[in-house]
Amino acid sequence: MTHVDPKTEGATPAAGSYAAKTRAWIQANLTDELRTDRCLDPGATLQQKIDFEAAQHIGGLTGIMWPKDYGGHGLTVREHLEANREIGLSPMPNAVNSIGKELAGPIIMAVGREDQKRDLLPKILKMEHIWCQGFSEPGAGSDLAGLRTRAEKTADGWKVNGQKIWTSGASKSQRCLLLARSGKPEDRHKGLMLFAVPMDSPGIDVREITSIDGARSFCEVFFNDVIVDDANMLGSPDEGWAAATRVLSIERATNRMYRSWRFQSEIDHLVMGCQSDNRTYKILRGYRRELAQCRIDVELLKGHVEALVDDLLDGKEIGPRGSFPKLFWSEAHQRFAQMAYEIVSRFPADSNQALRDLKARMEHIYLTGRAETIYAGTTEIQLDIIAKRILKLKKAA
Amino acid sequence: MFDDLDPKEFEETAAAVVDACASADDAKARGALLGEAGLIGVTAPEDAGGLGLPLDFAVPVLSAAGAGLLGFPLIEAVLLAKALAPVDADLAGRIASGETLATVAWQGRAEDGLVAAAPLGQEADHVLILRADGSAVLAQTGNAVTARAVPALDVDAPESAFDISGDLTGPVLDAASVATLQREAQVLRTAFVAGSSDRCLTLAADYAQDRSQFGKILAANQVIRHRLSRDKLAVSTMRNGLKRALKADVEDADLAIEATWLGTARAGISVAESAIQVFGGMGFTWEVPLHRHLRQMRAQSAYGAVAQATEGLGDRLIAARTNEWYGEIEHVV
Repeated sequence: MTHVDPKTEGATPAAGSYAAKTRAWIQANLTDELRTDRCLDPGATLQQKIDFEAAQHIGGLTGIMWPKDYGGHGLTVREHLEANREIGLSPMPNAVNSIGKELAGPIIMAVGREDQKRDLLPKILKMEHIWCQGFSEPGAGSDLAGLRTRAEKTADGWKVNGQKIWTSGASKSQRCLLLARSGKPEDRHKGLMLFAVPMDSPGIDVREITSIDGARSFCEVFFNDVIVDDANMLGSPDEGWAAATRVLSIERATNRMYRSWRFQSEIDHLVMGCQSDNRTYKILRGYRRELAQCRIDVELLKGHVEALVDDLLDGKEIGPRGSFPKLFWSEAHQRFAQMAYEIVSRFPADSNQALRDLKARMEHIYLTGRAETIYAGTTEIQLDIIAKRILKLKKAA
Repeated sequence: MFDDLDPKEFEETAAAVVDACASADDAKARGALLGEAGLIGVTAPEDAGGLGLPLDFAVPVLSAAGAGLLGFPLIEAVLLAKALAPVDADLAGRIASGETLATVAWQGRAEDGLVAAAPLGQEADHVLILRADGSAVLAQTGNAVTARAVPALDVDAPESAFDISGDLTGPVLDAASVATLQREAQVLRTAFVAGSSDRCLTLAADYAQDRSQFGKILAANQVIRHRLSRDKLAVSTMRNGLKRALKADVEDADLAIEATWLGTARAGISVAESAIQVFGGMGFTWEVPLHRHLRQMRAQSAYGAVAQATEGLGDRLIAARTNEWYGEIEHVV
């Protein structure tokens, strides 16, 4: 038996800091139904999650860096980092509208017209518009330049035909950030356009796909002669690809900035859960080296995140270096999930409620973690980016 | 005071001096070159012959040493020039100038009668010997403290053991100073390994773009490109981790430094092994210097007690209660 002080000893943010404000808000608003470390049945409904996310905006937890004119809080990446630390350390649910806040919003800000920014951006933060991302297609997953969905100019605007897949959250979204082709398929990156498509437009058919964790968030989206107004075009007709890749490189660096602390929080939960029973504590002791390696990875991940934050504050381009945190985090987190799954699979049958909650959470993390090296650019794509754009490796003598 | 100085400015100087050291006759001659350039006393106080700069200025210096396979115990000398200054400024100054060659026996305690893992101990004038109470003595070599050759993996700065046959005399560092020295050693070792692995990666990437097999260069193969990309990720992870760990406002600096060192030690070895694989049969030859990088990184891993420290971190982790969100969970162990 190891003697330790049962009092928790986590670092408390400085009074009056943005981190302290964020922590206080979460403590006041995160209900048991919403907590990811509790397995209540039934858990929070979609509407409860939407309401919670809208409240986060009012509380200053989202839209931190967005300009005040567009509903944001007009602060810096430093406050964004502080808030994300607290979000990560807590067992808050993942955002319902992450595509809106982390992808569509920044793209609209980069290429949208002023009227689009004033109309669309506040609705993202207020959760009036949940967004989905219509990029991947059956024949264009990682290789988006090969996408085939067509946008044809008509008298009414643009007529869209094609099929999207792996469109997370499409069945609950009000808007789709659609990447479609106005030119010929052989033009590759040229002639790609971005649209803000209302999901209630006639001709859109959404079919849910059940993913390996049993969830039905993934969707196929079919566009059959869908008419999209010129007013919903984002940027000029040839600007779609350039805008998407430019924004994606920054987003890869700044989105889900809470990930290193969420990773740390999951380790904390695993440890503190196992401390609730001498038998599970004994199991945990057998994994002390692997556990240390996971905690080392968390610290190293923070190094990647902060390096990019420093560069953003200095006004430097992120470019392909956004691949470092994505690649490092996804693989390190999968290693943790594998270890955690192995540990909880050894829990005794008569485990207490805290251990049952822990087991359920770690099983969920393990299964959903399989997607982490696939979405937002697979591991193989990230490695290609590093080889080509950072190491600048030749392919021929 | 340091507003107009940037640690990066030391990179070129350090690389040039390390290059010059390659043609120096022995460790003493290398020490003189390093001392003259101010590289040994980079963090030592000015009144003890140093430059009085913060620890991050030593990072490019040790990185260059790792890259350049420097046959000199620079990590130990930099640490001792600083740590000794309040106790014996004269001796600290001689270490900083390169006149006196000092090393550290990283393994064993004086009470055991034998200490080990002292890089270039055979050529050292002084060796820091750790004691069971946490303090340490910087003893002069010879007489009561005699160097003994031991099988050494690192061929550029081979380690020695020391037999202790009498009372230890010399300047004493108290336990707090030794703890600081050990902590700063983790930083310098991280920088050293980062430099060494960066050089391995450069050698492997160059070779992969030069060597052709089956009608195409090695780097045309995705499996090679991805291997090198992973190694690049590893090197960037070391550098970004170290940069963060040395920030004034880092949360839990001790953990950040230790974790970065432990992660770097493991990853550095992996990058060297990977480079040897890219070189194929040539990588297994004495002529290609990759084995020297691997050897020196393995040696640093042993000096820094990576395996034991990782287990120690694990022990602390499983006993800790560091997140108030889970504070309601019953605690019975």
